[in-house]
Amino acid sequence: MRMRRAVLGIAGLTTAALTLAACSSSGGGGNNGTGNGPNSQSASPGKTGGTVKVVEGTFPDSLDPDFSYTTQGLEATDMVYIPLLTYAAKEGTAGTQLIPGLATALPTVSSDGLTYSMTMRSGIKYSDGTPVQAADFTHAIERSIKISWGGSSFFTGYIKGAADYAAGKAKSISGIQADNSTGKITITLSQPYGAFDNLLAFESAAPIPSSTPMKVLSNTPPLGDGPYKFGKIVPNGSYQLLRNADFASFKIPGIPTGYADEVDVSVNSNTTAEAQAVLNNQADVFDAGDTIPAQVLPQVMTQAKDRYQKTPLASTYYFFMNTRVAPFNNKAARTAVNMAMDRPALAKLSSGALTPGCNFLPPTIAGHADGPCSFGDPTQSPSAATVAKAKQMIKNAGLAGTKVTVWSETRQPRQNFCLYLNDLLKTLGFKSSMKVVADATYFQTIGNESLNPQIGFADWSQDFPNPSDFYLLLSKAGIQRTNNENFGDVDDPQIESQLATLEKDPASQLSADAAKWQALDKYVADQSYVAVYGYQTAPKFLSNRVNFSGAVFNPVDYILFSTVSLK
Amino acid sequence: MYLLIFALKRLAAAIVVLFAVSVLTFLIFFAIPNGNPALRLAGRTATPADIHNVEVAYGFNKPIYVQYVRTMKQIFTGQIQSYTQHLSVFSQIKRGLPATLSVAIGAAIVWMLIGIALGVIGALRAGKATDVAVSTVSFLGISSPSFVVGFILLDLFVYKTHIFPQVGYVPITKDPVSWFTHMILPWFSMAFLYIGIYAQVLRSSVLDAMTTDAVRTARAKGLSPTKVMIKHVLRVSLIPIVSLWGLDFAGALAGTTLVIEVVFNLQGVGQYAYQAIGALDVPPILVITILGAFFVVLMNAIVDILYAVLDPRIRAGKG
Amino acid sequence: MVDHAASVVSSSIEEETTGSGDSPLRLALHRLRHNKIALFFGVIFLLVVIVCLLAPVYANDIAHTGPDANHISEVINLNGKPTPVVSTIGLPIGPTYHSKFFFGADQNGRDIAVRLLYGGRNSLAIGFMATIVTMIGALLFGVTAGFFRGWTDTILSRLLDLIWAYPALLLAAALGVSLAVGGVNLGFAHLSGSSIFIPSMVIGVVYIPYVARPIRGEVLTLREREFVDAARILGYNRARIIFSEILPNLSASILPVFFALQVAQSIVLEAALSFLGAGVQPPSASWGTMLSDGSELISVSPHLVLVPGIMLIIAALSVNVFGDGLRQAFDPRSSRH
Repeated sequence: MRMRRAVLGIAGLTTAALTLAACSSSGGGGNNGTGNGPNSQSASPGKTGGTVKVVEGTFPDSLDPDFSYTTQGLEATDMVYIPLLTYAAKEGTAGTQLIPGLATALPTVSSDGLTYSMTMRSGIKYSDGTPVQAADFTHAIERSIKISWGGSSFFTGYIKGAADYAAGKAKSISGIQADNSTGKITITLSQPYGAFDNLLAFESAAPIPSSTPMKVLSNTPPLGDGPYKFGKIVPNGSYQLLRNADFASFKIPGIPTGYADEVDVSVNSNTTAEAQAVLNNQADVFDAGDTIPAQVLPQVMTQAKDRYQKTPLASTYYFFMNTRVAPFNNKAARTAVNMAMDRPALAKLSSGALTPGCNFLPPTIAGHADGPCSFGDPTQSPSAATVAKAKQMIKNAGLAGTKVTVWSETRQPRQNFCLYLNDLLKTLGFKSSMKVVADATYFQTIGNESLNPQIGFADWSQDFPNPSDFYLLLSKAGIQRTNNENFGDVDDPQIESQLATLEKDPASQLSADAAKWQALDKYVADQSYVAVYGYQTAPKFLSNRVNFSGAVFNPVDYILFSTVSLK
Repeated sequence: MYLLIFALKRLAAAIVVLFAVSVLTFLIFFAIPNGNPALRLAGRTATPADIHNVEVAYGFNKPIYVQYVRTMKQIFTGQIQSYTQHLSVFSQIKRGLPATLSVAIGAAIVWMLIGIALGVIGALRAGKATDVAVSTVSFLGISSPSFVVGFILLDLFVYKTHIFPQVGYVPITKDPVSWFTHMILPWFSMAFLYIGIYAQVLRSSVLDAMTTDAVRTARAKGLSPTKVMIKHVLRVSLIPIVSLWGLDFAGALAGTTLVIEVVFNLQGVGQYAYQAIGALDVPPILVITILGAFFVVLMNAIVDILYAVLDPRIRAGKG
Repeated sequence: MVDHAASVVSSSIEEETTGSGDSPLRLALHRLRHNKIALFFGVIFLLVVIVCLLAPVYANDIAHTGPDANHISEVINLNGKPTPVVSTIGLPIGPTYHSKFFFGADQNGRDIAVRLLYGGRNSLAIGFMATIVTMIGALLFGVTAGFFRGWTDTILSRLLDLIWAYPALLLAAALGVSLAVGGVNLGFAHLSGSSIFIPSMVIGVVYIPYVARPIRGEVLTLREREFVDAARILGYNRARIIFSEILPNLSASILPVFFALQVAQSIVLEAALSFLGAGVQPPSASWGTMLSDGSELISVSPHLVLVPGIMLIIAALSVNVFGDGLRQAFDPRSSRH
């Protein structure tokens, strides 16, 4: 998710496990994509009851579903609030499949793509017994906008009347009609948007009691209707999830009802200690938003082989290159960087958490392609001859000696990636220096067009499993004077015309469009608009007290605590 | 009466200093390039309209003095909330305070006791091998950054040998033994620097005191060396140490604990400040800075007043 | 972290200001010459400085690599065995005790020995520059406050209180974050965010009160001394008294002592600042940044912490001991024997 990166440690991750059988599991468990909760047949039926202990490096930014925007927040709110649509509780690509949550079925869409209608399930209650009503959905959307949820621009950008509501020009959102008596919900869009179904699966769109006040409630989150409810909350320290006994009676197909009576989540900001706690079975679940530090990794790989697995994420790491400013307005300069970049070296810097790659769309996203790009094979270090050739290209283009500033975040390993880039640019003949910016202001800084940043760190993790979410970063629409997302100011008519047709296609047609997305992605690589070097993986690392194969690492919602059961 | 006026003057001065601290902190964070909190709060995908809405909602579009006054008002009414998490800053500080006080007080006791012991030993054995050893330890302490000491202790006693438990804070009310075992390494990491200073200060003041007439007389009267040490030497030498201790304790509480808490994940006030700086979340930084400064000023004033009580000459000299 | 060794000095010097009238400097130097330990450590510190100054020679002629050059994918021949400089999970090679990677490499495959020397230049430069800032500030504050007393003293003392009371590490971290991008505009000069002047200034300012207070105390006594009275009777103006009587007296007593101790303190504080991300900016190194970068890998690659840590301690220790020797030389009553 977008803001995740801006806010968190290493948490900028949204996930999607690999589909290709050949690339599947390294450790135990594997991509069985079945194991999942009492509702389905599981390979290892879990024990009900007991307490599962989760240790995280960072506390959720908020436990309020309408405000939270980080991995850790999502893992918590996903257990407590059920949106109208949600993702199947499965690993791998199967887990990117949308299923009805509180809605009785997936929405019906009008032929112009502007009207979405669905009906709310009846008989659903909040944990205090109050029935859930259709208007509670409206309240959730309005509240997310009013309390400035980090992703609220998705709502204000596509739902008719939401922008006026945000600006205070309207008292309600004209595009949402909800009828409490029939449970019917109709949403009108301001423009067709193929990925709108995905927006309905945001936790911030999950119904909450209409009486919930319009302020952030991190300490005392709104009541929920999910398999768990919040117990004791110690902000920035720990929180408890308690089993919601009523949930099973709602009989919502596909949503696990939970095993453990209690999930205790605590924070340990020392990741070495955090990983050691899971290694020594003092805690059961390692934060999916953290990476296992290199100094614990050897022990994990030998002593905990059967309960550790690297899970690929839909997350691209790249260096942006500013196409409007010298030297990277010259295609030769961009290509030289792509040719000479040592992607396996950058993977080493990530302690092996990055999978080397050169295409912009990451694995699990429709249109992703593995294999070499026109400038080389990402899994191999470039030969000395290739580097010399790249150097010659810079020289021939008359760019040798150009001053270049590399922009970097402070935190590791991102800073080390940029240290490598800085050295590479020197090798290529540029006069390179670095600017390291505090993590909290990094993306605002390079998103400020007046600074004209030339090159630097960037990454993108899916907000939802759809390639259009990635292409906002390479489209004209993404260019803004401040808060720019298209850091390289890529503005190419061919990309624009492709996007104009592809983005309208509904999410259900994605697989049919995959070849077109792949062609677009190849074009971007050929133009060297970005220097992609890899895709992030996340650890599924559990204690030996819990069932590993039964626990689901969902590509969108991370580790589903409701699928973790004690042995 | 003089003493009262002196105390009142110190109080007035302390208020001026605290006011200046708050203004300075506010200015520093206001001046940060791209530091406009609305940009961060509105999220990565925010449009200029979204950012404007946030600015209005939080009042970031108002002039800086208006924002300052409003923020200070929220501090004094206890209403102040963090920008990023919308949590009450004071309740967060209250939550972290036991851990911070545990580290600071424990470490202060450790360095005081060990510092005194080493200082006395060093003075008694002046010039001998023991003295050299004590001096070496002292200078090592002064020369080692506390986070390095912390990491080395962690590696040796937690990661490699498992002698002490994993890092973290256990409330003393929950399990005093576990609290103690979790605190030992943080205490020593923090105290190492001060042990060196205290040992050196005490060593030299003990050496000075031993050459005074009072001590010579006492010796001549045939008092046992232990008695002389306790009655005449230590009593005099400890006065500067105790006042130094007041200031160092305040300084450590407001400073070094930050580093130690981060290394040992104690989740105290210092770590809260550290996280707030990382997120450029002004309200917690402002409150913690003012509280830290308040504590230093308070201890400073107490030490000054105590000195004034002990030594009337100071009242005239200091203002 | 800040409360520090200067207090060791101040506590003993503040009260013992009245040396004998005749050439205290010469007497002190004489005593120093007989303090073998202090001289030994003084020489060690000099050696550290010289070795660090020779960094480019070592880099070019022995290690054949620069301080910022990455060698992540390189494989070197170690005792006949090809060994990768950085392993697949990112663990760097340890000390080889050969010309290449003598003290091992860091995560980016940079030569630790080369960085140690280049980093030492930055650490020492910050140590000296910060100390100069501290001394100038402390003299301005201390001499003015002590000499003019009254309202001047009150205001300056409150200003010192402000610096003293401001939680130094918080201030430093805050400034580090706020200055890193834009740098500082001083009116006459612009410092870029990566300049080592910034940490130097921060550290220097933080320590001003610790030195200014004892100086003020010293000046308070000096101004009552007979030679100052004599100068007054001769009709010297205040500026002349300060420059011809007060300052020479200070520089022959507590200034050199504080200077040595402040260098050590500043080097140590720079390490703490680096840990909070406010020290020397990448890709440049200092011992502090090397320490804080390496601390994450201390269990598996202890050389990342031990090499710069030991070097920092040697430098700080030697200048501390030398400073202590100076103190004893200027203050014979608390001497060791």
